[in-house]
Amino acid sequence: MPGLIQAKALTKTYRLGRVDVQALRGVDVEIKAGEFVAIVGPSGSGKSTLMHILGCLDTASSGSYHLEGEDVSGLRGKRLAGVRNRKVGFVFQTFNLMPRLSIEENVGLPLKYRGGIGRGERKRRALARLEGLGLGHRIGHRPDELSGGERQRVAIARALVGEPAILMADEPTGNLDSRSGTEVLETFETLHRSGHTIIIVTHDPNVAARAERTISIADGQVV
Amino acid sequence: MSLFESILTGLDEARRHLGQTALALLGIILGTGSIVTVLALFGGQAAHSQEFLNEVGGVGTLIVSNRDLPIQPSARELRSERLTYRDAILLKARAGSLSAVSPGWVSQLTYTAGNNHFDGQVIGTVPDYAMINKIKPLVGRYLTEYDVSRQARVVVMGWKYADSLFGDAKAALGRNLQLGGKQFTVVGVMTREEFYFASWEGNALEYRNERAYIPISTAVAQFTGTDPLDFLTLKATSISAIPAAQAEAQRLLYYRHGVEDFDIRPSGAGAGGQSGQFLLLFNFIFLVVGVVSLFTGGIVIANILLASVVERVREFGTRMALGATAGGVFAHVLTEALLVTLIGGLLGLGLGTALTGTVARIMALPAVVSPTIALLSITTSAVVGIVAGVYPAIRASRLSPVEALRYG
Repeated sequence: MPGLIQAKALTKTYRLGRVDVQALRGVDVEIKAGEFVAIVGPSGSGKSTLMHILGCLDTASSGSYHLEGEDVSGLRGKRLAGVRNRKVGFVFQTFNLMPRLSIEENVGLPLKYRGGIGRGERKRRALARLEGLGLGHRIGHRPDELSGGERQRVAIARALVGEPAILMADEPTGNLDSRSGTEVLETFETLHRSGHTIIIVTHDPNVAARAERTISIADGQVV
Repeated sequence: MSLFESILTGLDEARRHLGQTALALLGIILGTGSIVTVLALFGGQAAHSQEFLNEVGGVGTLIVSNRDLPIQPSARELRSERLTYRDAILLKARAGSLSAVSPGWVSQLTYTAGNNHFDGQVIGTVPDYAMINKIKPLVGRYLTEYDVSRQARVVVMGWKYADSLFGDAKAALGRNLQLGGKQFTVVGVMTREEFYFASWEGNALEYRNERAYIPISTAVAQFTGTDPLDFLTLKATSISAIPAAQAEAQRLLYYRHGVEDFDIRPSGAGAGGQSGQFLLLFNFIFLVVGVVSLFTGGIVIANILLASVVERVREFGTRMALGATAGGVFAHVLTEALLVTLIGGLLGLGLGTALTGTVARIMALPAVVSPTIALLSITTSAVVGIVAGVYPAIRASRLSPVEALRYG
């Protein structure tokens, strides 16, 4: 079975003022469907850059990237946004919920951006996701009325609502106390057991320990 | 996501933070309100001036006047008799495109009745004069063709002169008076004419109450001996016939004069002009104030939007991560701007309507907020919204998702 993610010889060079900074120096990554992978490394190692490229938020300077067999390394702008919307669900360290929207509207946003899905259908799917994550009683609330752990689970529901191929989380427990952090990690494990492909970027060994496999990055290379 | 959906998203979400944009709203409200008020007052004034023109019979009339002779006139110019009563008779008889021909002779004569006497204007004219100038008798009748043909010594009095000469305008009917020492009988008194451009201005038609009319033939026979005209006014059969009427009158007069020593121009230009001077200034000031406040409102909106874009950089990054395209973000920000200015425009329209009502009542001016004005003001505020929103929208849509997510 071919890998869900097949990336070869990825490099990424930023230009900071007059200096070129090499964030990635030839990274090969292969992740199969259903895997739970942690990308670890110290800050500045390039692990976030790798996640951005794998998540189609950014493009590599060179190298090839196939996502579900589709070559996405050449995509830009609108096409890339479409891939992002359909294939990747993001969970951020700071949750990044829209403060003015209710949680079900937040969860429905990816469907809104996908287009062609009516309000009622968006709501129905958002509610199903929220209930699946044990947030049924919070429907109609605003994000600021929720605890940190609840907010992150709303963010996970939002990441999952579009039924993406991969769930990507960038330090998902970084802003949570240890009990909420554990809850969120248990949520990821549950999702993994039900077949979701999960990639977590972290520098916390305890978080990485939950994953099946760890990819360590240092100085822009896999070590 | 389609553009339409982006707009819906912008609309849906903008209404949730209108509080933030209250200041910008205020600018737009004041600006739009001011512009609405000015346009309404201005429009009311224009309509009122038109009404005045109609009142004095200005629409569809042609004014014929003697052209000033050059310093060295030609033989033909010297031989011409200039405009005469005979010209008017010819036009009346031959010009099919004219419905009325009103020649006139004007003089200052002494009015005498009993011990009362004063100097005032006397106009020698024909029955068509009443039709062109839309004047009607209060009692008695106006001049008739019969009066003109038999050079009758009859007079039709303006309301005020009849009133001051005989103590009561209606009582003047049938009485005798002397004009320039000659005996005349009063056969009619005209209704009192009034028109006010504004409450503080005098009766613009008072001059019509201070005169008397006699048959032009009588004026020639009793006072002048010759028939030069002081004015000649023509009325076309319809407004669309004005050019044809002008051409026909031109041709007939040229035939009689042998030279073009006269001018024919449509009336209306400049009528009621000076009375609007003050209002014009007033409107101009309001308009400037309106444009400036709208402009200020626009700048405030642009600023607030820019600030909110900066404040929400990470939000836009997140939206992009969830699948929003650059175009979608652009439409989102622009829609927010448009929504704010449209709401401001609507409230401003309300304010302007209220203001117009108040100003119109206090100053006794005619003013109406017409649908055109409403549409114009709303459109203006929408344009301000678009102009103010474009730059922030471009800024937001050009963000790279990665940098936006990392921001702050």
